[in-house]
Amino acid sequence: MTRIGFRLALAYRSNIIMTCVALVAQVFLLRMIWTSVYGSRPAAAGLTLDALLAYLTLANLQAFVTHTIVSRIIHDRIRTGMVFFDLARPVGYLRQMAGFQAGNTLGGLLLLAPVIPVVLLVGSITVPVNGAGYVITLVLGYVIAVQLALLISLIGFWTMEIGAVSLLYRLVSQFFAGTMVPLAFFPGFLGVVAEILPFKYMGYVPAAVYVGHISDISGPVVVELAWIAGLWGLLVLTWSRAHRRVVIQGG
Amino acid sequence: MAEVLRALRLYVMLQRASARGAMQYRMNTVIGILSGAIWQGTGFAFIWVVMHTFPSLAGWGLAEIAFLYGLRLTAHALAMIPLMSVNDIHWVVRNGEFDRFLLRPLNPLVQLMGNRMGIAQFGDLIVGVTLLAVAGRNAAVQWNVWLIAFCFIAIVGGALIEAAFFLALCSLSLRMVDTFALRVFVDDIFSKFGSYPMKIFGGAVEWLLTFVVPVAFVAYVPSSVVLGKLDGPWALVAPLLGVVLIVLAYLIWRRQLDHYQSVGH
Repeated sequence: MTRIGFRLALAYRSNIIMTCVALVAQVFLLRMIWTSVYGSRPAAAGLTLDALLAYLTLANLQAFVTHTIVSRIIHDRIRTGMVFFDLARPVGYLRQMAGFQAGNTLGGLLLLAPVIPVVLLVGSITVPVNGAGYVITLVLGYVIAVQLALLISLIGFWTMEIGAVSLLYRLVSQFFAGTMVPLAFFPGFLGVVAEILPFKYMGYVPAAVYVGHISDISGPVVVELAWIAGLWGLLVLTWSRAHRRVVIQGG
Repeated sequence: MAEVLRALRLYVMLQRASARGAMQYRMNTVIGILSGAIWQGTGFAFIWVVMHTFPSLAGWGLAEIAFLYGLRLTAHALAMIPLMSVNDIHWVVRNGEFDRFLLRPLNPLVQLMGNRMGIAQFGDLIVGVTLLAVAGRNAAVQWNVWLIAFCFIAIVGGALIEAAFFLALCSLSLRMVDTFALRVFVDDIFSKFGSYPMKIFGGAVEWLLTFVVPVAFVAYVPSSVVLGKLDGPWALVAPLLGVVLIVLAYLIWRRQLDHYQSVGH
């Protein structure tokens, strides 16, 4: 399954190349906007411009990496009835799908690799303040991203149609991940919501650890592990109900 | 003239039929519109959050940026609502369906446009018009009839510029050149860079966005005029450019059409 996901990423090369071009454009746009608003200010919300630009570059690269297509695949397979074949395999369904997503991400990473220097050049990067902490929080954040995507996909077993829900999920999660604005800038109520939601672990937290905005990672790591455990339980529970509801469309 | 009126009447009939079709899947239509609106809403939320901390972006306040954003979005919606189905041209040509269009006594472009309307773009329209209305009240602008009339003309002009690029790229598909990826890219440039004051990009990119892909004229130049940042004479450039470009794009379409070869089914 992992290999299939990997191959799929490579098969849709042109798609991913377009995403890469859009990524470069996005990073450039953000750099110009933020440079302009900072003007001659040395720092805002505890971030210097250099740190902020490095943050934004990383957060956008991460958004590319933590982008999950598994819900779209599950949705398609439920709609066409192909999900039958997945269920007939002697490996747990969720494990197959998680494996698929992991392979797909690896394929995407492979294609992204040559673009990374361009992105870093267009954006900006600094030496990591806490490299190990960055990797740890990012990997855990990725696990949360996949779990959430799977959870969203399972809704399809009840409603058959999740196109709109997953689009909404993508928009909201991207926004609250802090891909374009670090959470430190979110005002009042919006800031509270963003702090509570788990999306920040896909973008803000790892990138903020990297640039040294978050210095103590023990707190975030514990909360991330708690999210993973909680989502794990929720997934198992939801799946045990969902697979009894399976309707195979077509035949 | 009679020919144009007839095409217009048939176009309206085709769109009425497609609207009836869309209403068969009412929920899907509503969700489509909503997701368009939310998409653009989160785009603007970004600007709002940034400008909460930093009140000025290259000398533009929040209300002014909102006006620029709204103008761009409304023009975009106006361009894409009628043209959305032309986006499928590659498939229409490849399936040989385009041959059918050529046999019918109506301009094939009108038939293609009549296939279905852009649904999500109605969401763009809602957000765009709302932003324009709210920002128009909050920005320091002395509104009068002429200025409002100018806004309408500018929106149409901006829509024509975007439509011209879209149509010209689509028409290459008549000769089996797939420009889908390129169209996504151009759309990305229009939507990402068109909503900000060009000044922030500086130098080469500002020049590119003004003279190569004239994104600046879609919303930046007209809003600068409305907000008193640019002199009056510039006001006419954007709509004029729109007309010139759409005529050019149509000529390109006609030229590609002359070279159309059926895939043969």
